[in-house]
Amino acid sequence: MKTEKTWKLSSVLAAMKAEPLTNRAEADLTGCYISDLLSDVLAHASHGMLWITIQTHRNVISCATTKDIGAVLFVCGRKPDPGVVAEADAEGIVLLSTKLAAYEAAGKLWESGLR
Amino acid sequence: MIATIQKDTGVRLAAVLPDAADGRRSRIPEPGPELTVSAVMAHNAVAIKLGYSTITMTMPEGPSTETGTTAGKPPKVSVAQMLVYELRVRDAMTQPPVTGAPGDSLRTIQNLMKTHRISGVPILQNGAPVGLVSIEDIINALDQGHVNDPAERWMTRNIVTLRDHFSLVRAVAEFDRHGFGRFPVVNSSGALVGVLTRGDITACLMQKLEKRAEEAAAREAALFSAQTGDLERDKPMVLQTEVKSGDYESAGKISQHMRQILRARGVDPVIRRRAAIIAYEAEMNMIIHSIGGDLSVAISPGKVIIEAVDRGPGIENVDLAMQEGWSTAGPLARELGFGAGMGLPNIKKCSDQFEIHSEMSVGTRLHCEVLLSQAAPLPKPEVPL
Repeated sequence: MKTEKTWKLSSVLAAMKAEPLTNRAEADLTGCYISDLLSDVLAHASHGMLWITIQTHRNVISCATTKDIGAVLFVCGRKPDPGVVAEADAEGIVLLSTKLAAYEAAGKLWESGLR
Repeated sequence: MIATIQKDTGVRLAAVLPDAADGRRSRIPEPGPELTVSAVMAHNAVAIKLGYSTITMTMPEGPSTETGTTAGKPPKVSVAQMLVYELRVRDAMTQPPVTGAPGDSLRTIQNLMKTHRISGVPILQNGAPVGLVSIEDIINALDQGHVNDPAERWMTRNIVTLRDHFSLVRAVAEFDRHGFGRFPVVNSSGALVGVLTRGDITACLMQKLEKRAEEAAAREAALFSAQTGDLERDKPMVLQTEVKSGDYESAGKISQHMRQILRARGVDPVIRRRAAIIAYEAEMNMIIHSIGGDLSVAISPGKVIIEAVDRGPGIENVDLAMQEGWSTAGPLARELGFGAGMGLPNIKKCSDQFEIHSEMSVGTRLHCEVLLSQAAPLPKPEVPL
């Protein structure tokens, strides 16, 4: 069984030019998954991952908690409604937003060693 | 009928249902004190007119805002009013119907009525109703000494039937319009499938109200025991919720609730996530594709059973639906990121036991089990990293 390698979210935050939206802004990341299809995330993402998406509605939180996703990064400057942020706070999910597009954000993550 | 539901706060709720047919008042079994008022309905007065019978619910002591979950936000429509729109004739009708043949003697029909304690018998020819013998027809025949005549000579011929998919509110209107005591109920091909009386409607409503109350009580109990942690770790538990078509906003609650309970019970996170995915995807499927249904999660020490039962329209081709990437989701669902065509395949992948049964215009029943005690989890889907 392979041992799980994790990265601190705080160590890659600046590279992604991401701003935390939730009170909590730290998580142990196990990897990253990019998708705007929730079922795809439910099927293929793993727990502890950073999920990059442009979807900002509240089902993102349900989906993230179902999979024990570590943090969600909204790209292209998108931000969810305050109600969604509150729900994420209650569930202990970190939400972030960046002006970068998904491709750029992922590139920065890769450069930062999250691989 | 009188049902009284008591809560320890002293708030009382009574439903009085005078029986339309004969004015008798019967008593339905009193639900136990475990039924809470907030569970039953969180408003103080409900009145629906059911032709001659009226359901009235009153809460004599205090306003309803003290009853918990929906405090401060009185619903516009009562639970019973919603039910009468949601429920179909087929949900309330007596089935299978007791029927006679055109050649049966009125004496035979009368015996049928006595045996089954009914007051009307549809007469069938080749499966379709051609007439109806009511107790009045029998009395008329008896009066004139014709009780051994065949039914076809005395039956009412121009009968009005109800379709099985009609809403109960429409059925109530038909009772008012025609003044009949009962309606034969037919399906899309005109075959007789049941008989509906006003009494059937009130009985069905009371039963559903009671079920709603029990579900809500179970939800509260589950929440409570999730909060009290592992004290009740081995207690079997059932969570149930009604799923409404297109209700994306309240999706995921039951799945979240279940995860809390499983976490409190120390279930392996991998297994926990599999159960959560099943419950969430099953709920989303009903929200996206069905006209509404019920989702239930039964947690026992050994396994979690997740059942999703909807009222239609049904899956035309289950084999296609099981294929990854196949989806019939509409534009709104797709915009929200659903409709990837992975729901059912993913549910199956996460289940230790998976059954799906679907019938067009009847609905879909999904039954999934996840074993909690197994040592090795199922192989997880490939993770592209």
